[in-house]
Amino acid sequence: MLKMLNTEIIRTELSRIKKLDKNTKHALSKSLLIRHLDTGSCNAEEAELLALSNPIYDLTQFGIDFTASPRHADVLTVSGPVTRHLKIAMEKTYNAMPSPKIVIAIGDGACNGSIYEKSYACLGKVDDFLPVDIYIPGNPPTPSEILNGLLLCKELLNSKKIKKSTVKLKLCLKPNK
Amino acid sequence: MNKSNIISVLKKCNLDESTINTNHLLCNIQKEDLQDSIEVLLKEKVSFLTMFAIDERSLNKKYKLHLIFLILNTASLLTFKVCLDETKPSYPTISKLIPAAEWFEREIHDMFGIVAEGVDLLPLVLHGDFPHGKHFPMRKDFKLNTEIEISEVPHQFTQPHAEGMHQVAVGPIHAGIIEPGHLRFCTIGEQILDFNAQLFYTHKGIEKSAEGKTIEEGLILAEHVCGMCSYSHSTAYCQAVESLSKINIPKRATYIRTICLELERLNSHLADLSAICSASGFAIASMQAASFREKAMQITFNLTNHRFFRGLNTVGGLKRDINDDEFKSLKDELQNLKKEFKSLEKIIIDSDTLLDRLETTGELSFIQAKKFGIVGPAARASGIDIDLRRDFKYAGYHDFTPEINIETEGDALARTKVRVKDIYSIFDFIRKIIDKLPTGKIKEEIPELFSSMLEPGIGAVESAKGSLIHCLILDKKNKISRWHVRSASYMNWRGVIQATKGRNIVPDSPLVNKSFNLCYACVDR
Repeated sequence: MLKMLNTEIIRTELSRIKKLDKNTKHALSKSLLIRHLDTGSCNAEEAELLALSNPIYDLTQFGIDFTASPRHADVLTVSGPVTRHLKIAMEKTYNAMPSPKIVIAIGDGACNGSIYEKSYACLGKVDDFLPVDIYIPGNPPTPSEILNGLLLCKELLNSKKIKKSTVKLKLCLKPNK
Repeated sequence: MNKSNIISVLKKCNLDESTINTNHLLCNIQKEDLQDSIEVLLKEKVSFLTMFAIDERSLNKKYKLHLIFLILNTASLLTFKVCLDETKPSYPTISKLIPAAEWFEREIHDMFGIVAEGVDLLPLVLHGDFPHGKHFPMRKDFKLNTEIEISEVPHQFTQPHAEGMHQVAVGPIHAGIIEPGHLRFCTIGEQILDFNAQLFYTHKGIEKSAEGKTIEEGLILAEHVCGMCSYSHSTAYCQAVESLSKINIPKRATYIRTICLELERLNSHLADLSAICSASGFAIASMQAASFREKAMQITFNLTNHRFFRGLNTVGGLKRDINDDEFKSLKDELQNLKKEFKSLEKIIIDSDTLLDRLETTGELSFIQAKKFGIVGPAARASGIDIDLRRDFKYAGYHDFTPEINIETEGDALARTKVRVKDIYSIFDFIRKIIDKLPTGKIKEEIPELFSSMLEPGIGAVESAKGSLIHCLILDKKNKISRWHVRSASYMNWRGVIQATKGRNIVPDSPLVNKSFNLCYACVDR
């Protein structure tokens, strides 16, 4: 049951973001709107995402914000393994977003299914159903780790040429201390 | 009422009590006598805790139903065990006597196919497109990885047919960063006439997947039932195992557990305050409470190395000790937080607009709260004086009794006030425990095998949202045979539904919801 979890802090599938044209990249890199989707998480990820809007992390200072409608969203953040009851809702939300769509999986549940076994009610990790661009593993990832992932997303959109090994992010906040 | 009284009451209704533990009374009971004996029992001071079924067909070709009550004033539990036949299992409904049991009956019907006679059993846990009547997930012969087709079936709600009435559907994906659930308002103009919620979207089958697992693996699952009440869940689970193996855990471990439980309550209450203020559009207080919450989370991280207390508890005590220097700094940090919190309280109490918004919103009367078995701060805001920390002592609460704060109005303001008062009590309470923290070991080894012969071990904890019960049954090889989790939110959701109806309008509903601030994850499991 206890799988070895991916130790890499942030793993990315660069392909889709890389393929975007220059103008789109430029536009998105200045402001990212996020639509959050809970596909069966244990609500710890939601608590940490909510913490991003508090005055200590203050997400909006980086030009990133949450939006209420998928129609306005550039990024879909997904947390938790996909449950049977939410599969249709998840697909509908994804389809409701305008292209280009960036999908970020937050937490172990979304990244690799975590400890939740595949069952009659739980269908497994998110990238079995949606193309995921950035993975932010963690149990749950701390707000600074999530912020790091979101800033990485912005950086990917910003730079013209990216090599996977050169992606280095300064820690914008000391985690927790 | 003392124990001999209870026994005499039970004898009156022809029960044969099989074993009498120190604080747990188990009675076998015929299903024909169930309603009568509950009627007799309800005249005494008891509180319904939980109810679950077990599939024992491989042993004795029977299903078994467990009903667990808390006998107030004696801090002891009473379990009714009812055997049901293998073919067409059924029992007379108890939700007419205990309205709080309605969801339990529906869940048992969904998961086991056991019928409560005399009521309509609508699907609850498994949604409309699940092949009801064909698959019963919690039966032993149902394989965990059975694939079941998914199709889109609209939810069945009561359909109003009158002029001017219409329905507002919200969810399952909400606008904010909250968990999924489908809400259906039936309104006349703005006023909410009827309100229903379809939950269990995040149902992951955790209870089923725990079957056959070892105790340690079960603990990890228990920690992941819910994020906000993670430590309460893991403590309740550990207590269930500890009560089965009959070990006494060291005092230092129980005290540290108590500190962590209170710290979790602080985190949760601060988040609730932030949510209440943001739902009423009061950004200053909301942001302040959110930043205090973040500070409390960082204090938690410094103390336990995890922001949600994961990986600290183990069966028999704690995985690692926390040294006294860390507790000293915890004391100082909480002292600072208390000073800062006073300014937040002043903002909330001095704001007439906020008070006006909260007053009379989402009222839940004493009688309604009693009827639906509401627990935790929501119950205490409606004037129900119940708290497992005092009524069913566990961990460090044997030696320390916390202050139980009660309000009587039952509206959103009362629920806010209970939380504010609770937060002050937590600051003082944690300091009191740290001052008397004993030294010594932090873990007691559990015996390797402790066959319990299918008696349930029960762990009860008062989490931030209310009482939380874990029932655990182990098989002969010490593997989990049945594990049932009843969270506080499971009881309180019916309170939200009740409080939203009536005098409120649709824009009140987020505030009513936030004033309870329930988890979806620990309801759905």
